[in-house]
Amino acid sequence: MTDALDPVIHAPARLRVVATLAALDAGDELSFPRLQKLLDMTAGNLSTHLRKLEDAGYVRVTKTHEGRTPVTYLALAPKGRRAFEDYQEALTGLLRGAGS
Amino acid sequence: MTDHPDLPDDDVAGLAAADSLRLIREQQARARAALGPDGRALYGAWGVAWLAGYLVLWFSAQGREQPEPWAYWVFGGALAAALVFTMLHTMTRTAGTRGVSARTGAMYGWAWMLGFLTFSAFLGGLARAGADGELMGLASNGGACLVVGLLYLGGAVAFGDRSLFVLGAWILLVAAAATLAGLPLTYLVMAFAGGGGFLAMAAVEHLRVVRRRRRAGVGSGTAADTGADRD
Repeated sequence: MTDALDPVIHAPARLRVVATLAALDAGDELSFPRLQKLLDMTAGNLSTHLRKLEDAGYVRVTKTHEGRTPVTYLALAPKGRRAFEDYQEALTGLLRGAGS
Repeated sequence: MTDHPDLPDDDVAGLAAADSLRLIREQQARARAALGPDGRALYGAWGVAWLAGYLVLWFSAQGREQPEPWAYWVFGGALAAALVFTMLHTMTRTAGTRGVSARTGAMYGWAWMLGFLTFSAFLGGLARAGADGELMGLASNGGACLVVGLLYLGGAVAFGDRSLFVLGAWILLVAAAATLAGLPLTYLVMAFAGGGGFLAMAAVEHLRVVRRRRRAGVGSGTAADTGADRD
């Protein structure tokens, strides 16, 4: 039933990650701890999903330092934003097809 | 990626699609609410500060030429409290974000700082040139109001916020009216038209939040809401 839907995004945890990053304006980034808090996920769990999204080219990961503290920033890559839009369109299409 | 209306398990797919869309809406509403300042709190704080501060100045100026010194302290304290609250609230909400919006916000913050630093030097210059009494009272209130109004117009342009533009235009009107009213009436104009303007904006923001929440909760199933929600 879901082979039309992008398997990278079509998993609740990753869908929430992508939806959160898509809520940022283009050109904005979010730190790992802040993203983790918005999602209520464990650090390990979030890291795993972020790696999959990064491997697909959907999420851009920037590691940097603020003072001496290492910080990781996440942003939706253009490919990820497109994939998210396509995914939402596909969902809307499915809804219409199901007559609801 | 487009519709599959003739799949056998359409209903299941439709249900899952509805769930996914709801998940997206809820998560994005949550993210936007958590990452941006709450306009209701900020406008509310400044509305209360202006209303209370200027009313104290007005009452204290009854039957005398100038408000009493303690009234200025109360007024200054109210504005300082609103300023500290604004900074803490904004810093907490935007912590952990960087990029274009963070830079725009920082420049906007600096614009306020530079505007009021320059304005205090301007008032210092007037005082040195011999201005006092009603002239200083009018120049400081009307002038501050002018700076605030112009900065709101600038902020409206920077953030694409139409209601902020309306507020800026209103505050400019207040600046003109308060200066023309003369002392001590100017304090009453600042309290009710100025402070009232902020409180009206807080109410407008509240209505926006309620409307957005209703749309996120029992939405119509459209997936178009991915951009920043400003009108």
